[in-house]
Amino acid sequence: MPPKKAQPSPSAIPASAAKPTHAISTASSQPTKTPNKPVAATTATPSIRNAQDIQQIGTAVWNNYVEKTAQRTKLLDAFMAFLIVVAGLQFLYCLLAGNYPFNAFLSGFSATIGQFVLTASLRMQTNPENQAEFETISHERAFADFVFGSMILHFFCVNFIN
Amino acid sequence: MEMRLLLSLLLAGLVSTVAALSAQGSKLLVVLEDESEKSRYSQFWTDLEDRGFQLTYRTPKDPQLSLFRHGEPAYSHLLLLPPGKGTKGLGPNLTPNLLVDFISAGSNVLMALSGEQSIPSAVSSLLLEFDISLPPDRNSMVVDHFNYDSSSAKESHDVLLLPGKNAGGSKKGVADILSVDGILALPHAVGAVLGNASPLLNSIIKAPATAYTYNPKEEQEGVEDVFATGDQLSLVTAFQARNSARFTLLGSVEALQDAWFDTTVQHSAPGSKSEQAANRAFAQKLTGWTFKELGVVKAGPVTHFLNEGSQQNTSDLTTLSDINPSIYRINTEVHYTIELSTWSVDHWVPFTPPASDAVQLEFSMLSPFHRLNLAPTTTPANPNASLFTATFTLPDQHGIFNFFVEYRRPYLTNIEEKRTVTVRHFAHDEYPRSFVIMAAYPWITGIWTTVAGFVGFCALWLYSRPEKERVELKVKEAGGR
Amino acid sequence: MAASTTAPTASTASSSPMAFFLQGETGRNTRGLLRLIILCTIAAAAVASRLFSVIRFESIIHEFDPWFNFRATKYLVNHGFYAFWDWFDDRTWHPLGRVTGGTLYPGLMVTSGSIYHLLRFLTLPVDIRNICVLLAPACSGLTAFASYLFTSEMSDSPSAGLLAAIFMGIAPGYISRSVAGSYDNEAIAIFLLVFTFYLWIKAVKVGSIMWGALTALFYGYMVSAWGGYVFITNLLPLHAFVLICMGRFSPRLYVSYTTWYALGTLASMQIPFVGFLPIRSSDHMAALGVFGLTQLVGAAEYLRSQLPSKQFQTVIRSAVLLIFVVAFGGLVLLTVSGVVAPWSGRFYSLWDTGYAKIHIPIIASVSEHQPTAWPAFFFDLNMLIWLFPAGVYMCFRKLKDEQVFIVIYAVLASYFAGVMVRLMLTLTPVVCVAAAMALSQILDTFLVASAPTENDADTKQANGTPAGANGSIADKLSSALPDTLRSTKSPLVGIYSYLSKSLITGAITSYLLLFVLHCTWVTSNAYSSPSVVLASRLPDGSQHIIDDYREAYYWLRQNTEPTAKVMSWWDYGYQIGGMADRPTLVDNNTWNNTHIATVGKAMSSREEVSYPIMKQHEVDYVLVVFGGLLGYSGDDINKFLWMVRIAEGIWPDEVKERDFFTQRGEYRVDDQATPTMRNSLMYKMSYYNYNSLFPAGQAMDRVRGSKLPADGPQLSTVEEAFTSENWIIRIYKVKDFDNLGRNHQDATAFEKGNKRKKTSAKRRGARVLRVD
Repeated sequence: MPPKKAQPSPSAIPASAAKPTHAISTASSQPTKTPNKPVAATTATPSIRNAQDIQQIGTAVWNNYVEKTAQRTKLLDAFMAFLIVVAGLQFLYCLLAGNYPFNAFLSGFSATIGQFVLTASLRMQTNPENQAEFETISHERAFADFVFGSMILHFFCVNFIN
Repeated sequence: MEMRLLLSLLLAGLVSTVAALSAQGSKLLVVLEDESEKSRYSQFWTDLEDRGFQLTYRTPKDPQLSLFRHGEPAYSHLLLLPPGKGTKGLGPNLTPNLLVDFISAGSNVLMALSGEQSIPSAVSSLLLEFDISLPPDRNSMVVDHFNYDSSSAKESHDVLLLPGKNAGGSKKGVADILSVDGILALPHAVGAVLGNASPLLNSIIKAPATAYTYNPKEEQEGVEDVFATGDQLSLVTAFQARNSARFTLLGSVEALQDAWFDTTVQHSAPGSKSEQAANRAFAQKLTGWTFKELGVVKAGPVTHFLNEGSQQNTSDLTTLSDINPSIYRINTEVHYTIELSTWSVDHWVPFTPPASDAVQLEFSMLSPFHRLNLAPTTTPANPNASLFTATFTLPDQHGIFNFFVEYRRPYLTNIEEKRTVTVRHFAHDEYPRSFVIMAAYPWITGIWTTVAGFVGFCALWLYSRPEKERVELKVKEAGGR
Repeated sequence: MAASTTAPTASTASSSPMAFFLQGETGRNTRGLLRLIILCTIAAAAVASRLFSVIRFESIIHEFDPWFNFRATKYLVNHGFYAFWDWFDDRTWHPLGRVTGGTLYPGLMVTSGSIYHLLRFLTLPVDIRNICVLLAPACSGLTAFASYLFTSEMSDSPSAGLLAAIFMGIAPGYISRSVAGSYDNEAIAIFLLVFTFYLWIKAVKVGSIMWGALTALFYGYMVSAWGGYVFITNLLPLHAFVLICMGRFSPRLYVSYTTWYALGTLASMQIPFVGFLPIRSSDHMAALGVFGLTQLVGAAEYLRSQLPSKQFQTVIRSAVLLIFVVAFGGLVLLTVSGVVAPWSGRFYSLWDTGYAKIHIPIIASVSEHQPTAWPAFFFDLNMLIWLFPAGVYMCFRKLKDEQVFIVIYAVLASYFAGVMVRLMLTLTPVVCVAAAMALSQILDTFLVASAPTENDADTKQANGTPAGANGSIADKLSSALPDTLRSTKSPLVGIYSYLSKSLITGAITSYLLLFVLHCTWVTSNAYSSPSVVLASRLPDGSQHIIDDYREAYYWLRQNTEPTAKVMSWWDYGYQIGGMADRPTLVDNNTWNNTHIATVGKAMSSREEVSYPIMKQHEVDYVLVVFGGLLGYSGDDINKFLWMVRIAEGIWPDEVKERDFFTQRGEYRVDDQATPTMRNSLMYKMSYYNYNSLFPAGQAMDRVRGSKLPADGPQLSTVEEAFTSENWIIRIYKVKDFDNLGRNHQDATAFEKGNKRKKTSAKRRGARVLRVD
């Protein structure tokens, strides 16, 4: 596949910030997709290596991921991927149709982004590799925190969109 | 309704007891130099008394003469006949300051001068305050070699004959109040020059284009450096102060005398017939205007209300629930009504503005945002007033606004009705909600998709928990080993 | 873990009864109790030292801005929250009005409103005024507590937190804005600031969503309370950014930062006044940028853990850098194209102190926006100012994530405090924390450290006890003591001797006592004046209250129509609104520069020019402050040049500052004053009839120390309505149009009996004809 610039116009920071993550997580989380998906995504970086190399690395990453990741983390990744898709759709719609009720756009988009961020946090906290970083936080606690944070987020968003 | 009936009854009772024809009051003070002069104006006095005025005669030196009583004006009206020869002023009780105060207190003054008698300096300086200048030469009078009465002033040409229909000016849009039929005779008139700046001044009768001021005592043939000529000379001048108090300067006191009420005059122009002078009718009109019988307009109740929702296009104001609110919101439609009536002989009648003139409403904050002509209608609720209405949309600007009706016209009392209202911004719950706006639907969907995803995720998470812990345990064990 | 059961035995082993309370389980409880008691005492001290003004004067709202807050609170209490939210204030900025509900930070009013309703609910009917007066001291107690928590996160020494609490409690830098009656946004904002920082540190340390969310919530509260929230908005991202640059990116940072940003931004957008600012204005862009960066770095870190290849890592790193640069470029582009609002003017003045003076005189005219004079630092912080660098240095020595925060905070706040007097307030917390850390280090070193032999024994014992966060002080100290110090340990050096201990302790104690003395003195002398009521000393030493302001405001309240519009310089707008309850043209919420310039023009022009302006704005009364009789220097003549400057900014052709200076460039009020000065409405109103107080030709202006011209100014368009006892406030009534249509000069001349000499003048030149 030819290198594809997945980067949208730099009109808004969240987009450019979210996009690479988008690429990465789709690469790492959608089990049904073929391994050449991450190839397309990672070539967003300066294309100094040939396609074969990238394909190899992609396969390695994918295998690594499938082997090492726990079921629960995969669930998280699926949810994150879902959120990315929702956010991407909203952003696309905003670019196409304009952001007329600006508060609605903001709350819709930031609800998704916020949820994504919280889920990513949960993923980090529950990742056994990060156990050392989060000594004091058990998984139950992490999940409870996650729910707490999400509730606040949803409240704000719904309030903002009225 | 009963209240209204009661009120109107009460009002009717009041009107009948007052019984004056002036809209303001009936007490008239006449200041004349000498009691003997009184008889020369007997018809004039009779006319005034017939119209309900209570005349009080005083001489300037009368110690009882006082314009004020307990700080309030003692009379509604004042008639000043020219002071006698040799007097410097009008006496200590009629100083210019007192007269200005008298006017500022709302009373009306008719001042008559005569070219026969020299004008005291106090009078000149008083008139200067009204922006009226008299000739510096205190004995001059207006002469006209083309418009004089050939029967009485064949030589001196100092009895001016002027058409009565021009009185009050015949300009477009100005109420025709003072004009009379026939011809006016103004003997020995003093001509005054009016300042250019004051909008309060109006010349009721201007001198003809051929007139000029002339001092008969100077015995000169030609006149150099004449004070004023032509229609710059005002023979009868009307001044209406901001508080609608009226001051009239009549250049020729003789015109009020019996002798000139029923004399016949003949215009100097060849071929004109001799006819009865219309001085009596004019005197009635002039005093009528000065003493607030004519040209009196008053504003009745002002109402404004929101012309939206249940109140839209309401004709019967009594059914309105929220009348004259102190606050409106921007971009709403508002209905404004003002009642105006005018005084006619002894009662108020609906006021109609002169042709090609309109009462205007300004909706202003610092500067007008709207300036609208008000449409006159009559109302069954009040047969004595006409209703001026306008319906308009408030500007898209919040602030403190005034409904301002300012109606200042020559010879009509000033109407100045200001109602201050606040125009506020949209309240937080008055914007369209997101779920009303179609364009917001994608994002509402976005939020709820996220929330639904979150709930689903939580359910899945909790459901798969036991398995997780097993995995976790395994990992731990693996780590422990 | 089993060691915890042995702790009681260890404590019982010690012999003295004192030791029983100070060691082990009981000791922990005792210490906890002691700490609580000390904290309560500190809070009480903090509250008590702020009550000087109530005792000296009375329970009264101070200064200017608090009067507006008080009025808004009363409105909130009387009309309910929703009416407050939608409040359109038609009694200020006449005739523009002000969308007050949408242009204020409601946190303060809502706080005191809820306290009021809570007390009502508890059947404690307290006057809302007293709640407002005492809110600031109450919050200062909370601030002391918050700074205890904050410092405890920074330092292992328990004394550091307590010291920070007491420093925070009585530091004049903070007291200046929180004495009783100083009912201002800062009153609760500083508490929220410190507490938000505490939560942030906690979040970074623990890496929990909950702490992050709490940070966001308190950040939201802070946003609702004070415009200074921008400081947090930029400080936290900066902290995160520096950590990332130091290679200290961790999942904890990711969790806490992203949680805070996502929730905090949404929370801040709930405040109507802030609205879309967080994504529209440049002030907030740093936070957004760092948010994006965190995402990038987080993703890169994740990939790195998945990929062993070194080359690939460099690719990733360069990609991150590239995206960052592109995003930054995009931001610049957006700012240039105007989608994102450029930095606000107030912000520019932070970087370039001369900026405001040139471009925005309205900002420069506020005294609290002036750069700080250096003695102010000593005045406000006293000995803390020299402990502060030491504390920052301590942070460098043990540079964990939270210490990095302190360092950044210290650097930024010091700079800002140097630029603007007002921002001394944000500096004070970090100074207190850093100083407390330094001082506690000294105290711990000299007080607790015993001779090495004992120390060993202690250490042994301590090792037996649980070495958690609550371990014995000695234990902590041994870990806290740096190696360098330990290497110099020798029994001969006097550090363990009682002499050196007592010497140092004595010195520190005396410093502390001096500090307390200084704080008390500053508080009672400099910061407890309500400025509404002035105090002076009579020759016999007794206090004399000068109450002109309230006298005049109550005169307005009693003697004028409720809708009478009062024009004054904007400084007094809030007070007139609050105390006199009369509509004003301009007030301390300086949102409309043109309107203020209009007032400035009316004040600095001739009467004939001013009168139409006043009439257009429906002004009924004009209020000026004149200190000439009393020597009160904060009067309008001294502020006059600002009025001129601000008016000149809008009408450069009509008002010129140069015209108010004499040929030699002096600003004078005596007979050397320029004609423009002497004909200005402000000058005339200030000195009108002032001569009559003195023997002929002896009139003196005591503020400017100059002798006034023998002939006082004459006024025609306004008339004196009221002058207060000491002539501080003078109120003039604007005359209506003259009834006879003359101009006011002529009318006044006529009333004085001067006859007009018009005709003679008119004869010269061309004749003016009347046209109609």
